Amino acid sequence: MSVHPVSSPVLAGAALVYEPAGLVPVLPALRGLLPGLRRGQVVAIDGAAMVLLALLAGASAAGAWCAVVGVPDFGAQAAADLGVELDRVVLVPEPGGQWAEAVAALLGAVEVVLVRPPGRVPGAVARRLVAMARRHASALVVSGDWEGAHARVRVAASQWTGPSGGGSYLRGRRVRLEVNGKGAGGRPRSAWVWLPGPDGAIAPADLEVAGPVQLGVAG
Amino acid sequence: MSGDESVRRVLLVWCPDWPVVAASADHDVPEKSPVAVLGHNAVVACNGPARAAGVRRGMRRRDAQARCPELVLLTDSPDRDARVFEPVLAAVEELRPGVTPLRPGLLAVRAPGRFYGGEASAGAVIAERLVGHGVWDCRIGVADDLFTAEQAARLAAPQDSVVVPTGGSARFLRELPVGVLDDADVVSLLRRLGMHTLGDFAALPARDVLARLGAYGARVHRLARGDDATPLAARTPPLEWACEVAFEPPATSVETIGFSVRQIAERLVDHLAGHGLVCTQVRVDAVCDGRIASTRSWAHAHWFSAADLVDRMRWQLQGQLAGGHAGPGLSAPVERVEFVPETVEPVADHARGLWGGADDRVERVVARLQSMLGHEAVTRPVLQGGRAPTDRQALVPWGELPGGQRPVDQPWPGNLSSPAPARMFATPRPAEVVDAEGRHVWVDDLDVVSSVPTRFHLAVGQRRLAVAGRGEGGVHDRWQQVAAWAGPWAVEEVWWEGAIRQVFRFQFVGADGRAWLLSCAPDGWWVEAGYD
Repeated sequence: MSVHPVSSPVLAGAALVYEPAGLVPVLPALRGLLPGLRRGQVVAIDGAAMVLLALLAGASAAGAWCAVVGVPDFGAQAAADLGVELDRVVLVPEPGGQWAEAVAALLGAVEVVLVRPPGRVPGAVARRLVAMARRHASALVVSGDWEGAHARVRVAASQWTGPSGGGSYLRGRRVRLEVNGKGAGGRPRSAWVWLPGPDGAIAPADLEVAGPVQLGVAG
Repeated sequence: MSGDESVRRVLLVWCPDWPVVAASADHDVPEKSPVAVLGHNAVVACNGPARAAGVRRGMRRRDAQARCPELVLLTDSPDRDARVFEPVLAAVEELRPGVTPLRPGLLAVRAPGRFYGGEASAGAVIAERLVGHGVWDCRIGVADDLFTAEQAARLAAPQDSVVVPTGGSARFLRELPVGVLDDADVVSLLRRLGMHTLGDFAALPARDVLARLGAYGARVHRLARGDDATPLAARTPPLEWACEVAFEPPATSVETIGFSVRQIAERLVDHLAGHGLVCTQVRVDAVCDGRIASTRSWAHAHWFSAADLVDRMRWQLQGQLAGGHAGPGLSAPVERVEFVPETVEPVADHARGLWGGADDRVERVVARLQSMLGHEAVTRPVLQGGRAPTDRQALVPWGELPGGQRPVDQPWPGNLSSPAPARMFATPRPAEVVDAEGRHVWVDDLDVVSSVPTRFHLAVGQRRLAVAGRGEGGVHDRWQQVAAWAGPWAVEEVWWEGAIRQVFRFQFVGADGRAWLLSCAPDGWWVEAGYD
């Protein structure tokens, strides 16, 4: 699996990137991996809550309303630091058995719905929600697996910089994000990204600038 | 009726099942046969005989045919509806200038007062004229405002009129079922709240209505209460707010024009919104060959969205310039299309939620979710001051003003300068931390760690780890190595009943590259948050 560092033109042109009509924008640093959240489609994220918040941040910064369903441990400060406008977030922390109804209703009102389903999602429910998303041209971001997801984002590796033997503190994290799926043209793409960087921002991070500490690889 | 000039009475003509009337006129369908108009394979409109046979709006083609085998099925065409409605508008215009259509099948005109011998007889004159034009089913309502006039027309018998006296809107509306509101979400919510008439609805406090039901609900609520002396602070906007699109070369098809006009319509709506206004009446002009070839004022029961404006433009061109035949062609190429807002109303107290900027649709869906899941279940995350990361945020039930939160900008001792954790556990989860020998790690009186933490175990987010480690087996499945750690930071924490206790915070990075915020308290280790 080769690593494609995000090339600098992506960054340089970030402010000029044109948003195609069918896309809810994502943060400039992620556009090399995922041009945007495609309306009416599903992006499934494996694990990392930070990636979920980063995806919301791009949409929210562009003025979109977002909803978060089934995430009782939503980190509001982290979200705000990434650029999520908390004033435009509807949070349904514990919808219980009615999570799918809540998601269906919210898809009709906001542009991006983020959901962490409580368990395996039955195919019929998944299809109904995708149909709702399509009808209302909203994007669905799922924490966990989703049958028929149009794109899957995975944290393939994660390195924290900062702490060592009790000293210092967590400063920043570099992750290798891998995107698979129909939307990505069939070929998996991956890139190292600061999530967040020592300055709190999300930015491309290529390998040469390796941090001073350990490297861990997730399963 | 005092003849007071300040009261603008509205006379509204409603031709029920207009799509059916228009389609039947085009297809020479024999009278009295059941007819349904289909769009996207579902019934959009049907006439009386079809309804008598059990056909309903929204029904699929197959079901409708099963109910009524002799049903005549015609395809839906809003452009045709507009074209066939045009002679009706012209007929009413001959009697009374200033006709403003709302949509095909529905038109409003200023009530003529005593000119025709009173409002009811004016209605009769109009009905007679329409019947002369072959529109058998037309019903007329007269009232102080559009909404009430439309409700009155819906209660009228064919070719008859219902007049709601001046100042009588509230009393008239209170008797009506909530089902008359043309917003399914609002209706369903009101029914679930146990409200069956607009009178029940009127009893709700205005503030709640605006918050829960949005601008449309608030407006109907105001009418039903009848407590608003000047229900419509309508005004005529300055001419320079008009906007136009020019076509070079002149456009010959409605499709082309509709496509080009969309953007300008959006700009107009945005521009008005920027002034805190919405447009309730607009004039559409089309210029052909250097002169205005088509002009018409359109009214809207709520207000015009950009899509509504484009629709009105289409209908008008289809009706006035299509030369009386179906199809996208125009009899004369159009050089310019202009939208002139004629009446605008303030929307400031509508569009802005009580806590600023909340969008109408969002409010409505949130209200529905709250009725489904409970008031507290739908929240807004807000930031506040505090020492522990978990103290630094609060979830405020939607619709409540955040109150009692600590100020954000104060310096809080023990506040970490790390990136904020992406996961915050409202209640900390238990954890265990041991050293290389498997002894529990703790912090002594001198704030020193008893030994180097090497493994830890959390009661969160372990699902994947457990699966990954299955092959190795053994009791260490759910434990993981400490890849890096930082701490301790001593914090005094206000424990329950005001007691203060000392806790020590740590940051742990696991072998899987995920980081956590743990605290070592007198009663053991806890996970407070995840930097996942």
